[in-house]
Amino acid sequence: MSTPEVTYPEASEEISQQITVEALYRKLQEPDHGLFILDVRNADEFETWRIESRYPPEMVNIPYFEFFENTEHALAQLPQDPEREIVVVCAKGGASDFVAALLEEEGRSAVNLAEGMEAWGNFYVFRPVAETESYQVYQVDRPARGCLSHVLISQGKAAIIDPLRHTEKYQDFLAAQGATLALILDTHAHADHISGGPALALATGAPYYLHPYDGIHPFDMLPAKMEYEMLKEGMAFTLGDLTIQTIHVPGHTLGQVNFLASGPDGERFFFTGDNLFIESFGRPDLGGQGEAWAPIVYETIFQKVKSQIPGEAWVLPGHYASPTEANDQGLFAKRLADLWQENSALQFASREEFVEFVLSHLPIMPAEYVEIKRVNIGLTQPDEEEASTLELGKNICAVAAAAAAS
Amino acid sequence: MTTVVADQTLDVQGLNCPMPLLKARQAIMKMEVGQVLKVLSTDRGSIKDFQGWAQSARNVELVGQGEESGPDGKKLYVHYVKRTK
Repeated sequence: MSTPEVTYPEASEEISQQITVEALYRKLQEPDHGLFILDVRNADEFETWRIESRYPPEMVNIPYFEFFENTEHALAQLPQDPEREIVVVCAKGGASDFVAALLEEEGRSAVNLAEGMEAWGNFYVFRPVAETESYQVYQVDRPARGCLSHVLISQGKAAIIDPLRHTEKYQDFLAAQGATLALILDTHAHADHISGGPALALATGAPYYLHPYDGIHPFDMLPAKMEYEMLKEGMAFTLGDLTIQTIHVPGHTLGQVNFLASGPDGERFFFTGDNLFIESFGRPDLGGQGEAWAPIVYETIFQKVKSQIPGEAWVLPGHYASPTEANDQGLFAKRLADLWQENSALQFASREEFVEFVLSHLPIMPAEYVEIKRVNIGLTQPDEEEASTLELGKNICAVAAAAAAS
Repeated sequence: MTTVVADQTLDVQGLNCPMPLLKARQAIMKMEVGQVLKVLSTDRGSIKDFQGWAQSARNVELVGQGEESGPDGKKLYVHYVKRTK
């Protein structure tokens, strides 16, 4: 039986007013932004990840086809004030464009998030932590994933700690700052996101450092298939006027290190990776050895860090679980002395109590995490689409902090 | 893979969300009740979209879905939609 073929032309240009991720992000940083977000993706995609802010917007999830199958019902779930701006969001910006135009026809005020959650997922923001004449420290936030990395610059030389996958963001930033990349440091082999370290080393010739314990895949028991320089306890680097000291802090991984940077003005910056977070701390089970590694986390945090790192040092972590962990400047930063008091997951009397708490508050481990660790030591090479799929949604690297507070 | 026989085929290769679903909706409205439309799409997101749409719409049923290899080796996402009302 032959069936008639019908071919339609390519879709046309945008049909509604557009807002960029940069503009949306800026609006979301204002405490009284009053934004209403309409997410028109399928319910399971919305459950996996959605736009977040330290000032959470009003939000509703109505899949786009509801707007032409059950129009009245869909419209009834939106603000009835025709002046209230509705930001419409979907995966890539196509369906939301259609819905935004439909809302405008209905007399509502709507804008489309250009390129949708794909653009939101790839959005990075650089914020100054310290800017002095002799050195600068920047925090790089990828809001969709709750991933943080840091850029240090002094005398025209730059170091990046825990660079994320979109390496061009760092290269563009350094070019704008007139700095040359001299040093690439990973605090550990990450499980939740793909490191930009090896790619940056290839592109710039700067050395890439990792602790050799993390150069072995914890499940496969296979060694790294990539070039890297080996970090070790006490190793020190000079970057212009800054000194950077390596501290081995095993527990989250066996080879995790933290870096303590000191400026000539006496300020200290403690890059804690997935050791200490503003809320909670790094889970010990992503290498499959939670029971064996949880006591090591205790020794690292309560013995080594507590006795060796000065309380005035600024803790600058590798993740956050909630955007509400940011301070008024939007920075995820806190003096270590304050962290000991305010991080609710650090209030334990004994090692036994701590270990029991950790092992009973482990979130699920996403299946992708084993594969991401393979990618990060060069055992597999995903293409762009596979890499993007591996990184979908927010990180789950912390011990459940909400439970810790209860 | 499904063995549903289609009465009409709609080729929306190269079109992105929401076009595959919108074109399918347009096409099925012109068909008879009981007839089946086969939709050929290159948009991976169309799999979940057609599932959600069929649940939401009152006059269609998704009678099959699958993946095929196109002539140029591209992966095709195939949907069989039946008009029920």
